Amino acid sequence: MTADALPERPAARPIRRSAPRTLGPIRPRWRWVETKLLLIVAAALLVGSVSLSGGLTGALALYDPQTLSVYLAALATGHIAFVLAGRRTDQILLPVMGLLGGISLLLMQRLPQDLVTQHWFGNEVGLAQVQLVWLVLGIAITSVTGIVVRSDSWLRRYKYTWAAAGVGLLLLTFVFGSEVNGQRLTLSIGPFSGQPSEFLKVILVVFLAGYLSENRSLLMEQDTRVGPLRLPPVPYLAPMVAMWAIALGIVVIQRDLGAALLFFGVFLAMLYVATSRVSLVIIGLILFVLGSILMANLFDNVRERFDIWLDPFADPLGSGYQVVQGLHAFARGGLFGVGLGNGLPLINGNIPIPEVHTDFPLAALGEELGLVGVLAILGLYLVLVERGLRIGAAAADDFRALLAVGLALVIGIQAFIIAAGNLKVLPLTGVTLPFISYGGSSIIANSLVVGLLLALSDKGVEPPPPPAERSRWDRLRRRGAA
Amino acid sequence: MDGPLLVLWLVRLGFLLLLYIFLFRVVRTLLRDLRAAAREPTTTLGRLVVVASPDHEPPAGHVFALDAITTLGRDVNNSIVVDDPFASAEHAVLTFRGNGWYVEDLGSTNGSFVNGHPVDGVATIGFGDELQVGQVRFRLERPRA
Repeated sequence: MTADALPERPAARPIRRSAPRTLGPIRPRWRWVETKLLLIVAAALLVGSVSLSGGLTGALALYDPQTLSVYLAALATGHIAFVLAGRRTDQILLPVMGLLGGISLLLMQRLPQDLVTQHWFGNEVGLAQVQLVWLVLGIAITSVTGIVVRSDSWLRRYKYTWAAAGVGLLLLTFVFGSEVNGQRLTLSIGPFSGQPSEFLKVILVVFLAGYLSENRSLLMEQDTRVGPLRLPPVPYLAPMVAMWAIALGIVVIQRDLGAALLFFGVFLAMLYVATSRVSLVIIGLILFVLGSILMANLFDNVRERFDIWLDPFADPLGSGYQVVQGLHAFARGGLFGVGLGNGLPLINGNIPIPEVHTDFPLAALGEELGLVGVLAILGLYLVLVERGLRIGAAAADDFRALLAVGLALVIGIQAFIIAAGNLKVLPLTGVTLPFISYGGSSIIANSLVVGLLLALSDKGVEPPPPPAERSRWDRLRRRGAA
Repeated sequence: MDGPLLVLWLVRLGFLLLLYIFLFRVVRTLLRDLRAAAREPTTTLGRLVVVASPDHEPPAGHVFALDAITTLGRDVNNSIVVDDPFASAEHAVLTFRGNGWYVEDLGSTNGSFVNGHPVDGVATIGFGDELQVGQVRFRLERPRA
């Protein structure tokens, strides 16, 4: 066969680089780092399960091997899905999330199962089973988001639509939400009920990333002076004031201090990342302190939270009961803890902290795993935040960078708020400990956050499309003026 | 000493130990990742990626590391030579001024465009924005950290 007989190659066509890359052939790519880390996670959870069984029943066997094996199988399936999809995404996020979820599962197995009961398909299922369902669903959501999401234009382009959806969700909760413990947090639609604020935080980060990346250069201009502070042009301060008002609105109407603190904290952090200007953060903090003082004077339940924080022992059997019991739990734990299954002595047949599965999981873990265990758990959250910041630093444009940083910080700040609340560093607020607290909304929203981070971390992803929206609007305006 | 109790105690500590082994391995991976990033040559201010270039000079997909003052044009003395019939000899200049990038059109015949609209004098250009010089389109990207 001579060279002449070879079929003629088609003429090379110019490659359109700006066109979104279509899905090529999917080549599996093994993820050794993730595999090794997941093996350690599995080993840790198995040993934890034996430890739990020893603490609860005295027998050295796996405690409820069925539940644990379902969870580990879900993690393995997620891992294999990532391997088969072959995207070059981060390999640390999934194992960290898996370990946090596994610790949550051990804790829920250990608590009295009748804290939460649901009737599904005629069966009554207890706390650990319900949590298992949420955790498996969370892993599925993380995997699907991390594998399927390739482009961020659907987030970038429709940021005002997302913001409107968020405000709508907030208003729905204001109007139709049901009050639990004096907080209007839960929204029930038909058979489903959830806490919209968990999803709102994701929407908030998406909107802020879009808004700040678009107006970054304008926010960095300094042409208004108030005393020693140099401020950006007044119109660009409006969203800051709006955020402040929304945070106060959440406190006033929902009585939800935690969400307000979380939203405002994330907002200030992202503002700082976008503009690197301390003066904006200082103004934000001043506004926040003023708002807090105002709220504490206007609303009894806010003031009560502050009073409990300042001195929970003033009323140890009444309003300060949970915080006092939480502090006792940490104290009983000491350095190495009393061991899984050995803590939480019953008081009159009840566990000492009524809301241990949602608001005080860290206190229970602090008792059973001790200071050493709590520091390890806080370290896991730090790792999540570090990965997010790293993904943001490697991003090609401002939107992706701010989105990654915001998503990581939303988990980090939330973990900080509730951990600090448990430890009486901050007033106690009703936010959940990400991936550890019981609750479907919380686990699903946080899984979505990790999934988006995974999608953003892909090194081989298509370049972002040119921001055409702005110019289209400008062109329309220009045409109108001409 | 009670045998089962001792085993249970060891299992308890084993769980904590495994948590720290996990953290240790994660932190080791993170440090390796950070060191690798530190070794890579970093452009500290930004990068200019060629998105489309009909005459393949500069070729599409090429990445330029940017200095604080980067000139673009057809003349060979420019930092980025845009060999395009619609580009002027001294076409535009990109400058980094403290907090962001600015583009200035140097009185070119066919103008410079940011995201499709013409630059009059000096305009801001953000990361992710497109700059068009002649028929060549660039995208300004954040430096790889």
